[in-house]
Amino acid sequence: MNGRPVPPRRLWLLAAGFLVWCSALVVLYALHAIGCAFGWQAGALRWSLAIVLLVHLIAIAWMWRHLATARPDPELGQAAVFLQTVVVWTLIAALVATVITFAPSLVLKTCI
Amino acid sequence: MSASVEQPPEGAPALRLHRQLEKIWATGPGWQRLAAVNHSVIGLRMVITSFVFFAIGGVLGMLTRVQLATPNGDFMDAETYNQVFTMHGSMMLFLFAIPMVESFAVYLTPKILGTRDFAFPRLTAYGYWCYLLGGTILTVSLLARVAPNSGWFMYTPLSSNVYTPGVNADVWLLGVTFVEISALSLAMEIVVSVLKMRAPGMSLDRMPIFGWYILVTAMMMIVAFPPLILGSILLEIERAFGLPFFDPTRGGSALLWQHLFWLFGHPDVYIIFLPMAGALSTMIPVFANRPLVGYRAIVVAIIALAFLSFGIWVHHMFTVGIPHLALAFFSAGSAIVAVPTAVQFFAWLATLAHGRPRWDVPMLYIFGFFFVFTAGGLTGVMLAIVPFDWQAHDTYFIVAHMHYVVAGALAFPMLAGFYYWLPLLTGRTAAYRLAVPAFWLIFIGFNLTFFMMHLTGLLGMPRRVFTYSGDEGWNWLNLLSSVGSFVMTIGFGMAVIDIIVQLRFGRRVRRNPWNATTLEWAMQMPPAPYAFASIPRIATGSEPVAPDQLALSLARGEGYLGFARNGWQEALGVHMTSGEPDQVIVLPQPTYLPLITALFTGAAVLAMLFKLYLLSLAMVLVTLGLFVLAGQRAGLGRDYGPLPIGHGVSVPPHTEVASAPPWLALICTLVADGTLFTSLIFGTFYLWIAAPHWPSNLAPQANRMLALGVIVALVIAAAAARGSLRSTSAGSNAQGWIGLAAIALLAAMTAAVGLIGSVTPHPHEHALGATAWALIGFVALHAGIGLLFLISNLLRIRAGFISPRRLTDLRLTRLWLDYTTVTGVIALGLVLALPALVATLGARP
Ligand code: HEM
Ligand SMILES: [Cu+2]
Repeated sequence: MNGRPVPPRRLWLLAAGFLVWCSALVVLYALHAIGCAFGWQAGALRWSLAIVLLVHLIAIAWMWRHLATARPDPELGQAAVFLQTVVVWTLIAALVATVITFAPSLVLKTCI
Repeated sequence: MSASVEQPPEGAPALRLHRQLEKIWATGPGWQRLAAVNHSVIGLRMVITSFVFFAIGGVLGMLTRVQLATPNGDFMDAETYNQVFTMHGSMMLFLFAIPMVESFAVYLTPKILGTRDFAFPRLTAYGYWCYLLGGTILTVSLLARVAPNSGWFMYTPLSSNVYTPGVNADVWLLGVTFVEISALSLAMEIVVSVLKMRAPGMSLDRMPIFGWYILVTAMMMIVAFPPLILGSILLEIERAFGLPFFDPTRGGSALLWQHLFWLFGHPDVYIIFLPMAGALSTMIPVFANRPLVGYRAIVVAIIALAFLSFGIWVHHMFTVGIPHLALAFFSAGSAIVAVPTAVQFFAWLATLAHGRPRWDVPMLYIFGFFFVFTAGGLTGVMLAIVPFDWQAHDTYFIVAHMHYVVAGALAFPMLAGFYYWLPLLTGRTAAYRLAVPAFWLIFIGFNLTFFMMHLTGLLGMPRRVFTYSGDEGWNWLNLLSSVGSFVMTIGFGMAVIDIIVQLRFGRRVRRNPWNATTLEWAMQMPPAPYAFASIPRIATGSEPVAPDQLALSLARGEGYLGFARNGWQEALGVHMTSGEPDQVIVLPQPTYLPLITALFTGAAVLAMLFKLYLLSLAMVLVTLGLFVLAGQRAGLGRDYGPLPIGHGVSVPPHTEVASAPPWLALICTLVADGTLFTSLIFGTFYLWIAAPHWPSNLAPQANRMLALGVIVALVIAAAAARGSLRSTSAGSNAQGWIGLAAIALLAAMTAAVGLIGSVTPHPHEHALGATAWALIGFVALHAGIGLLFLISNLLRIRAGFISPRRLTDLRLTRLWLDYTTVTGVIALGLVLALPALVATLGARP
């Protein structure tokens, strides 16, 4: 093979989307638990959950936009194209998963 | 994917090369077998060992069925029954399922990826011995009638001192942790080997799909096992020394155990399933006669699956009283985890549909898999829906679901894989007269046994009851279940006989009997200890590998490293993404060290079991010393510079590059350790927020000066490690720096011990003190291990293993001390913040 290889650091991108999903899970779960334990106002709790969810969605969407539009460096060869496709699709999957798993925080009763 | 090797002159000396390599790689006869470190040898032993445990676990399962066949059975008393079903579940999952999938990985991965062995053969061997010893401890406890009896998930407080005073629970905690050490060490080396040791030219996009599955699974293990290991350690500390992590009367929480357990337990299902799915993705294209459909989609799916499976542990705890909103997260997560599974399913079906499928024994089991696993998946989606789970929780419906999933995902693909890869091992193939009826007996018996359990469950039969009175309407269903289990067992017996018969009388087959396109068929049958006489090059292009032709050319030494040098066991290290060779990895020779180390580790566990804590501590120290000793002999004693590997290419040995396997291995270790640490932090917060008896008037205290002292000492140690690295690479003496780092670490440890001594409330009295104790203990332990790193550095500098070009050791030490410092700051920060946290509890309504 000729050209430069894809830097191994890029492999972290494979996990990027779902790491954000994990972060959303941890933060929302913890925030909700703390809010309920300390008896926050339902409205305040709901708003903070919604904001946290939104921040995570924006993070994934931003990465998606950023990576989907970047053409892989032709010098990096097939492996880079492969990596980019896979990364973009994990981001899409993570975005959908984030919406589906955490949307309940917008609609369900907070602390029963 | 295509593999090519330059055509050299005819009559190349394949036999001579074989003899040379054999002499270097082979494990000696007789007692020397105990020194084996080769992945083929260890992999095979693991397969057999896990099968023995499968048989024992199976017998235990049969015993439960005998007891439950009729109402008011008096085959066993309640206590025996508790031990039997607990050991059945524990053995099947910890001693059979996990090791079995790992044994497949150990045996096959290097071969499929076109390399000669794993990156850390001695670690493979250590992992195996730990597994064998841990399994033996558990089995012996069963014979001694002190086996664990609180169910395979060991819920507290049932498994706490109050309700299980004997050693039964300790056997589980220690034995299983011991086995998990082995699983974890294997997982790390699988990650390193898949990323760093493939056939040259095998860039990530050309890696056989099996490689992706194994890589993702091993990473999952690295993240999934630490929470359970932490839970086991904390519970054992509670049982042995009375620190109340799970005792609600003293500020602990029994539910914390469930969280830690299922944080491991749910991903574990996928850890078992993914390697088998990898085997399916390898076999199905071969039988369909066409390449796998949707390679990229599958890679995306398994990454998604890996993450999602961590986020749904609470679905095992739907009934413990969690707010509905949180339940909804886990319910939705549990439902969508079916999607990536479905993606793989459709990829397999599409591959079969577009190909020209051919029937053979493995295909029969693949069919069985499709049927059983689909049924298990459907009941899984049912259980993901909270109201249904509330209804079915802790009934036999769960037992049915679990067996459909586990046996579907594990047993059927495993048997398919056995029949598929056995010709590689034996050069022979199955006798149909036994294999086909064996399959049908297993398939029919399985469904008869476990389908009935859905019904008994829906009729309200609770799991784990040792008998029933006979007027519930379950009698005939239970009887059918028991009959079915015997039919299935006969089937398994026939399959085993078939495999044994095959060893002796099977039809001889030619190389690559299935027309596969993966590299494990491009070698001798049965495989030689060095696997490939020379290492193939995977060329760009799309024609598939033709292993049959490749095999001869590789045997003649026409690939890379087709020669013997210095008596070294050489393998190639490649660039992680592109697969271009970047180092020669010199692997260690057979040695008794792994066995001896495992024996001392086992002795530490046993001493702990018999409550001989000082002896146990001594054994731990010996074990650590043996690790340092093992490190002493690793690597090369001088600089070599680039070494020719054939085809006009030269690369340096692994000791002289920055991306050597040990570096990656330490990163994996730190990820595992970091998960453990995060779980500990999670536990602290969990207790703070959820445990009863954390009133705000408890005034915890920690000595700030001492805490500050620990942190300063750790920072000094980390800085000194940098100094040692800088001065060595500049060619000067680093021993002063190392000495300084050692003194700083000693100071840190002393201060930490002082800090532990001053913790209030006393760790025995309240979970608050106990968690502070655990956090500081974590820091002290890591500082202590840092000290071992430094000692090893000094010894190795003396022995000439470190030079300005060979810096791996010092880089490892630096990374470890950096990590220790960062976690130390977080842990001590939390300890210092505890008073403020507890004070806010006053705001709780
Ligand atoms: C692939 C093989 C198998 C695996 C991995 C497996 C695993 C398990 C596990 C984890 C449990 C849960 C125990 C508990 O609830 O504490 C269990 C329960 C059970 N298994 Fe298996 N098993 C396997 C095969 C069998 C076989 C062959 C039989 C019957 C002959 C069987 C019969 C049972 C029964 C009756 C229970 C219920 C025990 C109870 O909770 O009351 N299993 N099994
Ligand atoms: Cu689960």
